Amino acid sequence: MIELQNIEKTYTRAGDTPVRALAGVSLRIERGEFLAIVGTSGSGKSTLMNIIGSLDQPTAGRYLFERTDIAGLDVDAQAHFRNRHLGFVFQAFHLLPRASALENVDLPLLYTENEPPAGAGRRALDAVGLSDRLHHKPTELSGGQQQRVAIARALVNEPELILADEPTGNLDPQSTNEILDLFEALNRSGRTVILVTHDQRVAARARRVVRIDAGRVASDEARPVALAGAKEDAR
Amino acid sequence: MSTSRILRDSVRSLGRHRLRSASIMLGSLIGVAALTFVLSVGQGIRRKMLTTVQQIFGDSSVIVVAGGTQLVGGPRPDAARLTIDDIAAVAEAVPAAMAWDPQQVLISSVKRAGATATVRVLGQSERAEKVWGRTVARGRFFDDSEVKRRERVALIGETVVHDLFAGADPLGAEIMVDSVPFTVVGVLDRFGTDLHGMDRDNELVVPISTLMRRLANVDTISVAKLLIASPAQTESAAAQIREALRTRHSLVPGQADDFTLLTPTEIRQLLGKMQRIVTLYLPLASVVVLLVAGLIAATLMIGAVNARIGEIGVRRAIGASPADIARQFVTESALTMLGGGILGILLGSAAVQLVARRLDLGAVLSLRVALLGLVLALVTGLLAGVVPALRAARLRPVDALR
Repeated sequence: MIELQNIEKTYTRAGDTPVRALAGVSLRIERGEFLAIVGTSGSGKSTLMNIIGSLDQPTAGRYLFERTDIAGLDVDAQAHFRNRHLGFVFQAFHLLPRASALENVDLPLLYTENEPPAGAGRRALDAVGLSDRLHHKPTELSGGQQQRVAIARALVNEPELILADEPTGNLDPQSTNEILDLFEALNRSGRTVILVTHDQRVAARARRVVRIDAGRVASDEARPVALAGAKEDAR
Repeated sequence: MSTSRILRDSVRSLGRHRLRSASIMLGSLIGVAALTFVLSVGQGIRRKMLTTVQQIFGDSSVIVVAGGTQLVGGPRPDAARLTIDDIAAVAEAVPAAMAWDPQQVLISSVKRAGATATVRVLGQSERAEKVWGRTVARGRFFDDSEVKRRERVALIGETVVHDLFAGADPLGAEIMVDSVPFTVVGVLDRFGTDLHGMDRDNELVVPISTLMRRLANVDTISVAKLLIASPAQTESAAAQIREALRTRHSLVPGQADDFTLLTPTEIRQLLGKMQRIVTLYLPLASVVVLLVAGLIAATLMIGAVNARIGEIGVRRAIGASPADIARQFVTESALTMLGGGILGILLGSAAVQLVARRLDLGAVLSLRVALLGLVLALVTGLLAGVVPALRAARLRPVDALR
């Protein structure tokens, strides 16, 4: 599904010495994986995540998504690529504060090529267990619920790949578990999930853990499929 | 991204930021309301002016006003020297002068059976009917013998009828002007208000001889109107009238006129100046208001972009292209200004109706004016949105999400 070949990213600021965030990362990610990218802050894991999400462009190297060179696409094609194939989940949720849960979830449908199918937003909220919170504003929801709205937003366009950047960073342990259960269930239903985290316990839920250190892949190990704590389908 | 979806999303977004939307709309509202008002009332005033000029001058005439000032208007304090004999002599000397009518004015209280009204009393000759086009609706005009004999007969305007008679028939009734009894012989046709907003139906017309001797006790007149044979002869006739009057008043060369001549041409030039104020400068000022509203909108939209950087980042991440982002902010700005514009037209036309009724302008909101206001609001909104939109579109998603 994803093939990263020698990805480098160097930030240059006027008058500053260039900072090398990624120093040649190569990685293959297959369809259906549940992958955690871990590392300390400043390790380059978020940069890697942004490049996979086509939110940022690599300085060197190739990024192939289903054999398409993503870095070579123009901005509009990249936007279209994100809309069709990716779903983003952020640490800070990034919900529109004054819009209802349903309006937030419907947001990606604005940018689809064709008129979206009716009821997609409701179905996505139903999938994350919030069908009774359609018209609540984010301020009327708990942190865990807000993140579930954000996940529904990431799901609404039926993307193949979910990218989650520290999705539980702002959540209490119980909500953290619920959210991770949700990711696990999504993965089990066939979606590829990539989590970026610095939290070992979160990473422990993934089936493959890639450690980034100083802009390089430090380790890449698979974990046993069955894990204690994995619950039944969160749906 | 389709237009209908972008519009729907923009409308929702405006609803989420009501305070900002309202602030932007307010500017647009004031600008468009001012424009609507000024243009509509301007058109009304213009029509009114032309009508009044026609009412006063007819096809061709010259009006002689006592006193040497240049203003249009009623009697002058220095109107001491113009007499009926002057005008009679002048009319004799100018072949193109077909007919003439002298006029003297007095403001007086008029009583009838306990009811009192303050009324403008005009003294005129029997020729006023022909010269001023002042006709009677009911009853009759007074004749030359009544003028000669200084009869106490009066023609009465509709407003006076309304104020004094309350439904009763005024014809043949007796009224007191000051303390002099008059018999009502006719009711004047409606005139409406004149350019000064004066109600010309709140008038009494009596023989000028009666007014000069029995009411005012003066020897002079304030105004005279001379009908000229054809429009082409008006200017040359005015020149002859001036010479004849200067001779009669023994004015030496270099001495200023002690009367003022008004010709239709002169009046139209004067009105042209007023019209330019009404139809050019005032609308221009409204457009400036709208431009300022646009600047305010642009500033507020830039603020909105800054406040919504996170939102812009999310939208980019979930598939909005830079063009989508730009379109969103331009649309929001344009819709808000347009919304304000629609409200502005409502407010402006309400104000127009109010003023039109007060001034008897008959000014109605024209569709062209309304459309112009809307188009200007829309264009201002689009332009105001451009800079904020470009700023929003230039944001890189990584930076916007940070």
